[in-house]
Amino acid sequence: MSRSGLWAIGGGLLNIIMLLVLAPFLQGVSRKLTARIQSRQGPPLWQPYFDLLKLLGKEDIESGEAPAMQRFAAYLSLAIVLTVACLVPMGFSTRMDGIGDIILLIYLLTVSGVCTLLAGLAAGSTYSLVGISREMMTMISLEPLLVIALVTGAVHAHSLRLDNVLNGAVYARDAFPWSGLLMLIVMLLSFQAFAQRIPFDISEAETELMEGPLMEYSGPKLALFKYAQMAKLVVYAALFVAMFVPFGANLPFPLSWLLFWVKVVVMVILVTLVAATHARYRIDQAIRFFAGLIAVALGSLVLASYGY
Amino acid sequence: MIACGRLEQIKQKFGPGVPRMDLPENGRLFVYAEPTVVKDLCAYIFHDLDARYVTSIGIDDRPHSGNFLVAHDFAFDNDHILCSVITHLPPENPRIESISEIVPAASWAEREMRDLVGIEPVGHRYLKRLVLPDGWPEDSHPLRKDVPWNLVPESFNEEREFQFEEPPEGCMVVPFGPFHPTLDEPAHFRLYVEGEMVRGCEYRGFMTHRGIEKLAESVMGYNDIPMLAERICGICGCVHSVAYVQAVESATNLKPTARAEYIRTIMLEIERLHSHLLWTGLACHIVGFDTLFMQSFRIREPIMWVAEKITGNRKTYALNLVGGVRWDIAPEMRADLLQVLNKLEQEWTTVVKAVSGDKNIQKRTRGVGVTTKEMVKSSALIGPVARAAGVDIDCRRDHPYAAYDRIKFDVITASDGDVWSRLQVRMKEVFESIRIIRQCLNKMEDGPLQVEIKDELPVGRIGLSSVEAPRGESHHFVITGENNRPRRWRVRAPTYQNLQGIPAMIKDQQIADMTISLGSIDPCFSCTDRLETVDLRSGTVKVWTPAELRQMREGKVKS
Repeated sequence: MSRSGLWAIGGGLLNIIMLLVLAPFLQGVSRKLTARIQSRQGPPLWQPYFDLLKLLGKEDIESGEAPAMQRFAAYLSLAIVLTVACLVPMGFSTRMDGIGDIILLIYLLTVSGVCTLLAGLAAGSTYSLVGISREMMTMISLEPLLVIALVTGAVHAHSLRLDNVLNGAVYARDAFPWSGLLMLIVMLLSFQAFAQRIPFDISEAETELMEGPLMEYSGPKLALFKYAQMAKLVVYAALFVAMFVPFGANLPFPLSWLLFWVKVVVMVILVTLVAATHARYRIDQAIRFFAGLIAVALGSLVLASYGY
Repeated sequence: MIACGRLEQIKQKFGPGVPRMDLPENGRLFVYAEPTVVKDLCAYIFHDLDARYVTSIGIDDRPHSGNFLVAHDFAFDNDHILCSVITHLPPENPRIESISEIVPAASWAEREMRDLVGIEPVGHRYLKRLVLPDGWPEDSHPLRKDVPWNLVPESFNEEREFQFEEPPEGCMVVPFGPFHPTLDEPAHFRLYVEGEMVRGCEYRGFMTHRGIEKLAESVMGYNDIPMLAERICGICGCVHSVAYVQAVESATNLKPTARAEYIRTIMLEIERLHSHLLWTGLACHIVGFDTLFMQSFRIREPIMWVAEKITGNRKTYALNLVGGVRWDIAPEMRADLLQVLNKLEQEWTTVVKAVSGDKNIQKRTRGVGVTTKEMVKSSALIGPVARAAGVDIDCRRDHPYAAYDRIKFDVITASDGDVWSRLQVRMKEVFESIRIIRQCLNKMEDGPLQVEIKDELPVGRIGLSSVEAPRGESHHFVITGENNRPRRWRVRAPTYQNLQGIPAMIKDQQIADMTISLGSIDPCFSCTDRLETVDLRSGTVKVWTPAELRQMREGKVKS
């Protein structure tokens, strides 16, 4: 195998390991912060690790309409997130030169939504069906936002390659970056939905749908799904940082790496703060909100194609 | 006197159909009517005299008068009168014309009467079981006097299930409950959902019946029952025990001491405070706003502590006796209470300010679960639900009890009738409660806590009492009896009426609004379900039969 191939695999593995190690910790940060806002003590920062270990050690119960599909959905959801982690730079510039492009990235992220769909279908309860119908509606209106953000980057970079696009390419080089700034605002406003936190955790809505698609999950399978959700938050945060706030990525190694993770933690804190101060939207209200964002995003795409 | 005026009006209209009317004390009116005129009389009282329907009670009076009794209770809120229309039915095959056609709010009470006392409401459109488990034999009516309190019928049929209606065409059935994260207690709504819209629903509740009324009528004594009454509800227990003792006092013409009345008022308002704070928290939790949920509970906690200091318990105060109270409020407790109130007022002001300006919460609550004045009238909705729809009723002012006639306070109303209005009403009522407690503490004079009762309480008298619980009017009906216990004690909790308004509230709304609409009436299923003896599964998809579950348990024990 060529040297660059080894580099690529090594870099990807490093990303995966970092993600698996850090995601529960960031979840812990989020939980602690939420507790503080709510005048509670809150669990210790490493509680999510224990939670995952506890779930992994429980009996593996087959339940729902289609247990095999349920199992598959859990495996797939974690696998997809980890694959995405290989493509997205996590403090190092990605080594997947020429292996992945933004189209692959978009498809992978869509499949992670499909996992929720499979999970809900496998449960086969009315509540999970309502949950997946909401999930699909959200996905259909959210996906274009991410696509437009990536395409804006691609238009400016004149390339679909990830390493070119995920490097602050959304900002035009030689004019005032209108499109990039617009997309930054759009993505900030919709980030909560990508992270699937309140006010946009509509498809799981514990007090309405009893976790919706996840209602039949327990034990190790639930652990995988929860792990995937924790990791997803970090991956989206990393994607956001790489796309919109890559500043400082050219610093020498430990500094750039540290700076990157500081930015990711800031994103997690932001998500937590919004979640702790909002009530859940209804699906129709959420879709109307996304529709407005899509209109703005399309405008910015037009601007980008004219070089702004 | 206004009550006399009402009496004359009824007398003129119905003459010989109403052989007897009693005006035992100011604010009560008993109309004894022939069974044949009851329906017309109720229509006259409900529509022409514009009274509010309260509840209907079936009574097995065969050991005493040889007859069954039916009482329909109404309230003239503007005239400060509680009225009971009482009629005698023959001991064999008791039947009475249903009034649910003219008073839709009577639907449940008549079904309950049929289940428990076996009085058939003729012409009722929806005569399914309400209270009794589905497998209970048809001919056994637990509240009849010849049925022992601990009866387990031989012919109980575990296989029989509740028959739900066919869902409307194009609708999916979403079972809501018996167990759901937002229901703290079991109740089952079968929702007919089209896409995300609720098109209708059917209700089957009463899954945790405890036989409280039967127990009181057959085993306990006058002063034991307040202890039982406050265990009817997990939150507004004091309301039930006050309502019960007041019904007995009203029947027997006892007047509790002034200090006791003030102490009752204070404890009732403490209960309202913690209940409203709890509700605000839960409502926020339902729409996903957990921060305010946690903060409400933090703010609420000192109230529980001060209640514990006064009565020895956070919630179950064991406060009331017929003719007085058990616990005094000592000077140092008074100081504590005032301090807690000051802190609460300050913190609650912040919360109210934050919530009132929050667009996000308004988005989820405005225009949701709307009730109109007409719905309030026809379903006899009460409490904050009625007041939020602009219906200005409050038993504390309309039918004053305890020390409320000596206290100044405002009845908070709103106009939109949606969940947001209910939130506003409840949040502002917290300030009124604080005001009431402060006035009580200032006006309270030293004196005895109980009146001395030398003779046995008179027998066969009827007492009505309405107490404004945090959720609405809690109505108790008592007939005094022999052996130091009442012959009949009927509890009508506020949720009993408000829950009947839910199907209209959630119709043609998003399924996401179902939970907050239901939550907004502050439902208390334990209050509603207070009645029978056996608990059974509902008619939802059956996975295990009770027998199978028992086998499972036995298997576990062996292995």
